Amino acid sequence: MYEQIQHPLLPQATHDERARQHFVHALKEHLATTVSPGNRVVYEKRAKPRFVRETQRAPQNHHEVRRVMKDEPYYQIWSALQRISQEMMWDAVASSVERQLPDLVARAKQNKGELGSLTLNPDLPIPPYHTAVDIHCQPGGYHSETCPDDVAAGAIYDRAVHIYVMGRMGPLNDDLGQSLIAYLKTAYPDLQPRTILDLGCAVGHSTLPYVDAYPDAEVYAIDVAAPMLRYAHARAQALGKRVHFSQQNAERTTFADASFDLIVSHILLHETSASALRNIMRECYRLLVPGGMMFHVEVPQYGGLDPYDAFMLDWDTYNNNEPFWGALHEMDLVALASEAGFAPTRVVQTMIPSALKVARSRTGLFQGGDFAGRGQWFVFGAAK
Amino acid sequence: MPRKAKGQRPTFFTDPQVEKVLAMTMALAGEVSVLRERLDTVERLAEAKGLFSRQDIEAYRPSARVAEERERWRKEYIARILRVVHEELEAIERGETAASYDAVVRAVSSS
Ligand SMILES: C[S@@+](CC[C@H](N)C(=O)[O-])C[C@H]1O[C@@H](n2cnc3c(N)ncnc32)[C@H](O)[C@@H]1O
Repeated sequence: MYEQIQHPLLPQATHDERARQHFVHALKEHLATTVSPGNRVVYEKRAKPRFVRETQRAPQNHHEVRRVMKDEPYYQIWSALQRISQEMMWDAVASSVERQLPDLVARAKQNKGELGSLTLNPDLPIPPYHTAVDIHCQPGGYHSETCPDDVAAGAIYDRAVHIYVMGRMGPLNDDLGQSLIAYLKTAYPDLQPRTILDLGCAVGHSTLPYVDAYPDAEVYAIDVAAPMLRYAHARAQALGKRVHFSQQNAERTTFADASFDLIVSHILLHETSASALRNIMRECYRLLVPGGMMFHVEVPQYGGLDPYDAFMLDWDTYNNNEPFWGALHEMDLVALASEAGFAPTRVVQTMIPSALKVARSRTGLFQGGDFAGRGQWFVFGAAK
Repeated sequence: MPRKAKGQRPTFFTDPQVEKVLAMTMALAGEVSVLRERLDTVERLAEAKGLFSRQDIEAYRPSARVAEERERWRKEYIARILRVVHEELEAIERGETAASYDAVVRAVSSS
């Protein structure tokens, strides 16, 4: 079992809390590696032949696969256990954070040092795609606050992500940032950004690697959720990384035109909405200097995937409170970027390998928690 | 702090009651695992330090204060196992339905 680095902001777990979290981690790993692969067998041996008998053809897309799979008892019990493991994860982490919340708030305040900055805007409206349902079932979502200077949502997220991905995003959960950087260093060796913006930074897992990778750059990171940003800022301070965090909506920020050489996001896009996504693209275009580049790390698009793989990857849309996940992954991204002003010829869509060794222990399956499987990420980018 | 994620919970079985029983069983499995780990720690430490034996455990009788603490602990324990039942009530109170979730999928996909 991979362990997370106990940095000064990470909630401390009692013996039982740790054991409870270990159990969820082990349960998720068991479901992902031992139970989930059986769904493919059920599909090939039972569901698909049933579909073929009824319609004289094979299922053509993930919607058709879902229609036949949802009646399969094996798929039903795996789904039920998968959902339960998600709920147990939040419960096991939130109860631990709640117990020590005053201490965590105090620790965040002690880490308000001089490195970087934190700018909050209590008047910023929380977008409707965050208040409609609690994304990936985190009770209260990213934004809810239960006390002054609350950091609970951030603390819960930091610990829960490690359990959710079964430790396979590294001891600092920074796989996404590390992997995009590794790709940029190879594909764009001359890229020397002086200003970098990370959109939807959450607690800064992916943000911090940019500080070391581009030491001459000023790194900015925005999010709509105050508890994430307070925690992110204190965590960055504690880890000695200089980042300017501010509470802003990526659809429309307060930065001046042409402020950034490089704009990145990591698994942000699937947690927005169709109109928000168009706004974010336009905002990226506005914020980039001519020749500047944006890159967004995501799980792969469904187009080109085997319908069964797309169906498994789509599970989260309906069963893990990720309502925009499916729609995003069926979208024409070249059209999306060009609507915002980017030249279609300057749009990049590619799979990149994970930079981390632990990622190799992922299953080869397309499923939440393992994401793209086989330690790969999808990158969508464009140059202005 | 809120304990139930906002959004109607999907159901996978024809009989939704089965779902709840499974959630309870898994919560229980989790707690058994927590307990097993703690007991293992205790027994190993005791053994390493030559502190007490199995006979001592059998002969132990809790004081009134200890008994009270244990009762409190049991209450929390049971609430954790029956979480899914409490959450269903929360969902009913909030008026969440499968249709209300689908409406969100449609809304964020098209607006
Ligand atoms: C899955 S988390 C991102 C994880 C993070 N980028 C990382 O790699 O660790 C999504 C984050 O995006 C934020 N978010 C969602 N929509 C946003 C928007 N329109 N503007 C800014 N932040 C947003 C959420 O509050 C949440 O913290």
